[in-house]
Amino acid sequence: MIVVTREDDRAVIRPAGDNIVAASIPELRAKMHGILEEGVRDLTVDLTGVDMVDSSGIGLLIAAYNSLRKVGGRLAVIHASTELLELFRAMRMHRHFSVSGN
Amino acid sequence: MTGSARVECELRASLPADLQAVEGFFVEFRRRSRTLLNRVNCFAAELLVREALTNAVVHGCHTDPRKQVRCLLRLKGRRLLIAVDDDGEGFDWRAAWSRSAALADCSGRGIELLRTYASHVRYNDRGNAVTIVKRLGRGEHE
Repeated sequence: MIVVTREDDRAVIRPAGDNIVAASIPELRAKMHGILEEGVRDLTVDLTGVDMVDSSGIGLLIAAYNSLRKVGGRLAVIHASTELLELFRAMRMHRHFSVSGN
Repeated sequence: MTGSARVECELRASLPADLQAVEGFFVEFRRRSRTLLNRVNCFAAELLVREALTNAVVHGCHTDPRKQVRCLLRLKGRRLLIAVDDDGEGFDWRAAWSRSAALADCSGRGIELLRTYASHVRYNDRGNAVTIVKRLGRGEHE
């Protein structure tokens, strides 16, 4: 189950399961879209327990960042594993938004 | 899984072109890879297999479950071979290979991930079969 913790225009979203990959993207995308529609401007994605993010998952994070940037918002990714930090750096995602590890 | 003195592990699968079927495959993949590889190489191997399979399902077969995607994984020493082919029409891998996603693009990073994590990637002319080699670094292979 995707867990969302909300406070004013800030939210922390914790994806369900241990993957953010092509098969799990539609549910997570819908949840993120709903959060942004409700006025969240400061979104944190908590990757605790997430082992794998593929190119579809990277695309989803970039899409969320693009949406937030248009409205002056902010995206952060926290609790990424060592392997995911390396992946995000290789894909230059740290140039978009804050990415931090466990 | 088959084993011999030369081939340490081999896994073959034929799947319908469906993303949930891909997830089912990874349950078995993880069970086997975690007994053979350390954490760093498990991640790289899974990422490469995922990108190859997802490309085949989504771009090769347009997620049509009547089509099949086949996968062969072979671990031999420090060399992991990943071969994926599908029933689709193929794609223009030459154009895709030379392209890098712009920083703000939401798609187009699958090939870039293959370039980053694989030691060698080869497509067939038609673009419906890919062979990937990942050389496992010294000290990374358990």
